[in-house]
Amino acid sequence: MNSQSQKVLVLGGGIAGLTAAWELSRQNISVELVEKSCFLGGHSIGFTCKATDRCQQCGACSVEEMLKNVVNEPLINVHLKTELKGLNKADSSYKITLQKSDIDLPVAQITQRANGKAAKGFSKHNNPLYVTESDKNNMGSQCEVDVDALIVATGYSPFDPNRKSTYGYGKWANVITGLDLENIIRENGALVRPSDGQKPAKVAFIQCVGSRDERLGNLWCSEVCCPYAMRMAGSVKHDNPDAQITMFYIDIQNTAKEFPVFYEKIKQNIRFVRTIPVDIYPLENNCLELRHMAEDEGAPSSESFDLVVLSVGIMPGKDTGKISEITAIPINQDGFFDSTSSDLGCFVAGTAKGPGSIATTMADAGKTAFEAMRYLGVMK
Amino acid sequence: MITENCSNMVDISISKDVLVIGAGSFGLQAAGQIAAQGYKVSVIGAKTACARQSGCTSEMLEKGGVNIMQDVSIEALAGVVGDFRATLTKNNEKVESIFGAVVVAPQYSYSPLNAKYGLTLNDKVMTLSQFEAIISSDSEKMKAIQNGGEGGAGANVAFLMGFAQEGEPLLTGRVLKGALAVQNMKGCKAYIYAGNVKVGANGLERLFTQGRHAGVVCFKPSETPKVQQGTDLLKITIKDPVVRSDVELTPDFIVVEEGLVVDKQNLDLCAKLRVDTDLDGFLPSNNVHRFPAKSNRDGIFVVNSSLDATNAALRVKELIGDGTKKVVADRAKVDENLCVICLTCYRSCPHGAIFWQNGAAAISPAACQGCGICASECPMDAIQLGEFTDESLRANIKDAVVSAQATQKDAKSEPTIVAFCCKNSALEAFESAKLFGHEMPVGFKIVKVPCAGKVDVEFIMKAFVDGADGVMVAACHEGNCKAERGNTYAKWRVNEIQKRLELMGFGKNKLTFTTIASNMAKEFACKVNDFAKSLEG
Ligand code: SF4
Ligand code: SF4
Ligand code: SF4
Ligand code: SF4
Repeated sequence: MNSQSQKVLVLGGGIAGLTAAWELSRQNISVELVEKSCFLGGHSIGFTCKATDRCQQCGACSVEEMLKNVVNEPLINVHLKTELKGLNKADSSYKITLQKSDIDLPVAQITQRANGKAAKGFSKHNNPLYVTESDKNNMGSQCEVDVDALIVATGYSPFDPNRKSTYGYGKWANVITGLDLENIIRENGALVRPSDGQKPAKVAFIQCVGSRDERLGNLWCSEVCCPYAMRMAGSVKHDNPDAQITMFYIDIQNTAKEFPVFYEKIKQNIRFVRTIPVDIYPLENNCLELRHMAEDEGAPSSESFDLVVLSVGIMPGKDTGKISEITAIPINQDGFFDSTSSDLGCFVAGTAKGPGSIATTMADAGKTAFEAMRYLGVMK
Repeated sequence: MITENCSNMVDISISKDVLVIGAGSFGLQAAGQIAAQGYKVSVIGAKTACARQSGCTSEMLEKGGVNIMQDVSIEALAGVVGDFRATLTKNNEKVESIFGAVVVAPQYSYSPLNAKYGLTLNDKVMTLSQFEAIISSDSEKMKAIQNGGEGGAGANVAFLMGFAQEGEPLLTGRVLKGALAVQNMKGCKAYIYAGNVKVGANGLERLFTQGRHAGVVCFKPSETPKVQQGTDLLKITIKDPVVRSDVELTPDFIVVEEGLVVDKQNLDLCAKLRVDTDLDGFLPSNNVHRFPAKSNRDGIFVVNSSLDATNAALRVKELIGDGTKKVVADRAKVDENLCVICLTCYRSCPHGAIFWQNGAAAISPAACQGCGICASECPMDAIQLGEFTDESLRANIKDAVVSAQATQKDAKSEPTIVAFCCKNSALEAFESAKLFGHEMPVGFKIVKVPCAGKVDVEFIMKAFVDGADGVMVAACHEGNCKAERGNTYAKWRVNEIQKRLELMGFGKNKLTFTTIASNMAKEFACKVNDFAKSLEG
């Protein structure tokens, strides 16, 4: 087979899809990169830098770099606001039908512009950078493409915090998720409270929201939320040394390298309390009362905070079922795609298979691209 | 595929031989995957895994695609990517071989941590590895666990983890499996004393839950358990926070955790290869730009997992291709007539791109990344970058000041600020800030540099002389520099000049050093605005 003529469809334009597409293009394979939303980059392109006096290796800037690589690569053809409609296997290739996706503009990204409301991309490499409602309606590809293999990189959905109703997400202005927090920092250049735009003095992070929860049937650790919350807390503390930050947790999971050093340092800056709060009540001035079973007291106690951040977990992507039906890729007991690789030319990369950090997702996408190329005979 | 657009490209040849250091399972996996691409792989280092099970085929092993060389060690590595010269030794015999790429698969060993609990290893107190060996056998020792409890009943086994060290998921998985195995033996009971249960890997939370349902008891005391080891008695005591009293257990066996240790061999290897480690001594350095599988030296890859092994194979294939590679000829060049062989450039190059030729320093176009650190550090000004010559940078500084002043309408209303922006981070952030419409002072202009490490003292002074009111040097955050230490060099130079400015009576706050990530547009604008304000005030 001549690799020049080979083509792979990558479904999903988050960090897994971007990396897989990029790795394929490195070996001269053409890629149709299909993204359901109006912007490339997935969740992680919205993440902000967590550096304190030094880089905390969160990986957010490597997403930015990968996006830059991909949008400048002529071998990668991007379809925004497009989804998979159908797939037919013919001999050794796939006939794929794409259709315009039906999707709302992301609420968190809406800004007011001179010519009306528009959703704003997170990166300067997002093209278009602004999408209005009418732009949106004109976007999307309706076509058929022939490809030799398929990589599904459809990512995850964050846990819906409304399912933990006692935390009052959506009811109390200053109960937010980690993703909300990212947006606040991006827009303001620092962490401020949604209710009054002031820097919060007392901040709580609640870990394992939706993960490690037997009652919900979610028997997995999301792996990224402990590293995430600790890095975030460290960076907030660095910007605002007066902030008092508490992390409510079950077990602390490791960041990647140098964790012992990192953890010792962060323990000096934030308070760790081993319990998961029961519920949250509003107080005056939009402050919040957080009730929990304090470990060293053995009885319910409560404490007030200016801002509560919910570390929502990594859940299977919303479209997993639909895509599984079209592609016949099996789903595992947790609802993620089964990770077994395929000899049929259908592969899965990244968090569509289960939780993972930016770094491990990129490594996994590289490996998946390698397997796809092996299937195509480009790699042996 | 995009290739660099530069008229000054040259073809260099890359050796198709690859050296893999470390014959553990990840090293052998990398070897198999690289050999499959048609390259000849030599593997050295202690062999601790089966080559076939790691994906090396019989054909590779028999026909020399993968050549496993036992008892061979590496003495030195010279040369650069595409043309590494390795001195290998076997029985005191030395051979020099050429390799296009080197893959390091460090083999770390586990060391028992019983001493940290005040325990001595014996029949009743064992390491996790010893325990695993016992339960996978049918030995007397296994029977001792099965019937080791009171009156010949099943034994109580306590596992200790997470107090002698933080631990990691791999270790946790082993303990959870071990505890479940004990619990499933008739009459046996498993107890886990844990610091943080590291369930952050696929399947571990499920395994943990399964164990709890089977009856494994897990304590997570806030302090290290007190462990007593008598002649016949083992006793573990913890404080229970809820009951506020001591809880004691007298297990029949104790299984203690083990920790990964960095042995001297690995550190020696890093020194030989000039590959940086992280703070704990593990390879490679902790820098997102290296993940996965890259090191600070082009052509040297580091493999710590199966994922890394495959990614290393991808990188090796991309690097070697069919044995020739197009590279930019003059990223950096030494003027032989000026060089006095002071070694400064050799020591400061983060990518190991400098070697010696014709009595002067020479730069390998294959390995050089064009950061310019050497050029700025060279006391003789003997090194010039192709894209960022000193001359063009001086002209850009002048232009920046002139155009900043031109934007000031009536007289001078706002300060003229010149920022040297690293193209990897600050430049990206600046361009985003502009695109997103974040306001910045009108008198603010930037000069693009390949790395903050290329901001010479002379350039900063020139910006002032040309008429800048303030100068900013904007680099990557510490630990995020692609040239590893370019930001550190820049910071040193800024500190130096600040001292000089102060002596000259200008005040040091006209010059600032800052770090920023490429994705932080708003933060960049805020930093510039704060600096402008500080100049006015
Ligand atoms: S903290 Fe994250 S975004 Fe910031 S420089 Fe480091 S890796 Fe990049
Ligand atoms: S990473 Fe931490 S917060 Fe996230 S699910 Fe795991 S233990 Fe909970
Ligand atoms: S720093 Fe300059 S003078 Fe010294 S060895 Fe390098 S090129 Fe020669
Ligand atoms: S420019 Fe940078 S990479 Fe190139 S030789 Fe100089 S210090 Fe090394």
